[in-house]
Amino acid sequence: MIIKRNASKILCSAALTAALGLAVGAAAGEQKFTGAFDVGSAGNAQKFNPLTAPAGFSFYNKYFGTLALYDVGLQKIAGDLAQSWAYAKNGQSLTVNLRKDVKWHDGKPFTAADVKFTLELVKNPEMASVFSSRLKDVSAIRVLDAYTVRIELAQMDAGLLDAFTSIMMLPSHLLSNMPVRELRSSNWWKAPVGTGPFKWSRYVPDQFVELDANPDFYRGKPVLAKLVNRYFKDASAASIALQAGEIQFSSMTLDQVRENRSTRAVEVIAGPSHVLNYIGFNNNDPRFKDVRVRQAILLAIDRKAIIRSIYNNTASVGNCVLTLPQYVPADINPYETNAGKARALLQAAGWKQTEALEMLTYYNDQASKDVVTVLQAMLAQVGISIRPRFVDGPTFGTLVDANKFSLVYAGGGNGPDPGTLIPLMQSSYAPPRGVNRMRVNLPELDQLFSDAQQETDDARRTVLYQQMCRLTNAQLPWIPLWVGDRFGGFSKQLQNVIWTPSPGGGRYQDYPERWSIK
Amino acid sequence: MGRRGANRAAWKMLKYIINRLLINLPTLLAILVTVFVLINMAPGDPVDAFVPPNTALTEQQKQVLRHDLGLDQSAPLRFIQWLGQVARGDLGYRYKDGARVLDEITSRIGPTLLLASSGLTMGAVLGIMLGIFSARRYNSSSDHALSVAAYLAISTPAFLLGILGMYLFSLKLGWFPTGGYSAPGEKGLLETLRYLALPAAVLSVQFIAILMRYTRAGLLEVMNQDYVRTARAKGLSARAVTLRHAFPNALVPIVTVIGANFGALIGGAVFVETVFSWPGLGMLFLDGIESRDYPLIMGIALLMGIAILLVNMLTDIVYSWIDPRIALK
Repeated sequence: MIIKRNASKILCSAALTAALGLAVGAAAGEQKFTGAFDVGSAGNAQKFNPLTAPAGFSFYNKYFGTLALYDVGLQKIAGDLAQSWAYAKNGQSLTVNLRKDVKWHDGKPFTAADVKFTLELVKNPEMASVFSSRLKDVSAIRVLDAYTVRIELAQMDAGLLDAFTSIMMLPSHLLSNMPVRELRSSNWWKAPVGTGPFKWSRYVPDQFVELDANPDFYRGKPVLAKLVNRYFKDASAASIALQAGEIQFSSMTLDQVRENRSTRAVEVIAGPSHVLNYIGFNNNDPRFKDVRVRQAILLAIDRKAIIRSIYNNTASVGNCVLTLPQYVPADINPYETNAGKARALLQAAGWKQTEALEMLTYYNDQASKDVVTVLQAMLAQVGISIRPRFVDGPTFGTLVDANKFSLVYAGGGNGPDPGTLIPLMQSSYAPPRGVNRMRVNLPELDQLFSDAQQETDDARRTVLYQQMCRLTNAQLPWIPLWVGDRFGGFSKQLQNVIWTPSPGGGRYQDYPERWSIK
Repeated sequence: MGRRGANRAAWKMLKYIINRLLINLPTLLAILVTVFVLINMAPGDPVDAFVPPNTALTEQQKQVLRHDLGLDQSAPLRFIQWLGQVARGDLGYRYKDGARVLDEITSRIGPTLLLASSGLTMGAVLGIMLGIFSARRYNSSSDHALSVAAYLAISTPAFLLGILGMYLFSLKLGWFPTGGYSAPGEKGLLETLRYLALPAAVLSVQFIAILMRYTRAGLLEVMNQDYVRTARAKGLSARAVTLRHAFPNALVPIVTVIGANFGALIGGAVFVETVFSWPGLGMLFLDGIESRDYPLIMGIALLMGIAILLVNMLTDIVYSWIDPRIALK
């Protein structure tokens, strides 16, 4: 059974838990939940410093805590360690009020000093935190009292709360005396102290991390006595372990979901990945300067056929860089496939090709290989010859940063907050300063990002993002293709488990203290 | 052989070992230089591996990382520094998480040795037995069936065999766990064997097939020799002829194959360890390559290089032991 979650049908947590066989109440005895939390693209296996981790939040937030979290539909930000917050009227500061009943696993109270310590650590270049650019507008962090922090801003940053959903709070009383460079790769991360519902118990390299229930967790002691994150280098092995009942959760590939359809061994939850797959091109390459060439590429690709045949209808077409429904206006160009029009546009743009263009991708899974092969065939039909090249992430980064590329097939997270696109598309983030690796340079787009970051009103922000969608639909700084679904497989023995696909995993309220096993 | 003769043989052996060790030193250095050059030539540096392709690090952060990891120094200087560290018994620290490379490697040697030695033993015993069986039934239907099975086993990649084995024996039959490791002495011998059986069996499959074919070919070759015919003419049983006269003379190529396949066995262990989440050197090596963790890659290359050179030397020594006509020089 697949429980489908899509843009038009966001299920609430209650519905999800019902679908997993909700039965309120704790089961008796010591319960141990074993999951492959780090299998799949949202995982970050055996990397334990959460400040340098762009993924793996589904497990980090079992033993650490963040100031804020999304709801399970990834629509609204709610408090976690922060009880409330308010921007100053001039947008120059954000005041955060903390919960007063939170304790670190060693019994010490969680206070404003910990927030200040953690945020300053993120900003410190020596920590090399992947979130430092998200705090670039934070000019100072002031402790007003034990449970109140004021974050002063050089300019309004409405995306700050989204950043807070990723930043795990760290204990100042244990770490403030450690040099930051030492802390970055310290062994402390392999026996950390957090505020989450589970406490670190033990780590067996390449095997698992075991957590114990935290009896002093502020929302109450978890039902599960132990929660284990088992490591699998091979996703197929995780899927077999799930079907064999050795583990209770793992992310699944489309092939594994298809296989499960016949066996119905596990429950499968599906939902949009919030990652837009796109064809990127080198914006510095004069061959792609003419928008008609970019439009022709998109018109040549039969995206619906690819979604139907390769993704088995588990992806949805994207027509601009934003994919959350509220940001996609109805009046944008749908770019229905039209090879004839594509040829005409290429001819009008004077397209001439002497050698095949290399299409670089860091995706190495079979579905992506199939996709690139089909793209090659579809583009060949309109006179664009490409040559796929499959590389690993570090190779991709090096080649693209060195400007040694023409086309890429890649993916970019664009949610829950579209501000996550800033480092990928704002001109000031072009290499070597950032990861705007396609060298997008649209002043109107830069302005829209800036305006949206300074707007706290949801309705006005939505209008700005809709404008951004129209602009990127017309200009095609990336050639948008689709947003694929991601899948989670769950044992039918589970109760009250909440899960939804999200970029990097976690970052939403999943109430693990309520999880139990029948 | 008298006492003096034994002493002379022991001295000759010691001299041989010392000579081989000295000769192997430049070979080892050449291996290390090659590995170092190759990993530094591979596109993508450790800072790129530190974050996924779409994650932002500022240039300042990258500089801090490069400086801390020593990547702002020239490659030859880094190699010389690394050699200096090795001479002091220090293999450096992992780029990924700062763990000591020596600790990382030593904690994985046990599981890998257990897996490789089990695979090797299983492979050698079964491979030789099946080879003898096949040679004695030359050109029979069972000989043909075993040859076909051997070709299939040799041409099936270890990772595919691992997944198939796991599907059948773990999921369908439920005999073994899908993966993991129980250290000897941790939860008892049976538990260790329960986790070991499937990965070791998968690892041994190709080895069984290769050894079977070599044993069969070696035996068929010596079966036509005069001394075998003489043994038969003396009225010895077919079993005695094969085991006491033919097999010892077919052993030299078998020992060569065992020695030559040691590297392949370690290579196969990478895939088997990956599929079965076996916490050994193979999985660690793969992790090192994915994260461009140069100190880890070099540390494992050093260990593997030493191991393979030692196995080659051991193979030569075994030659002279099983066939006194082969002299150690």
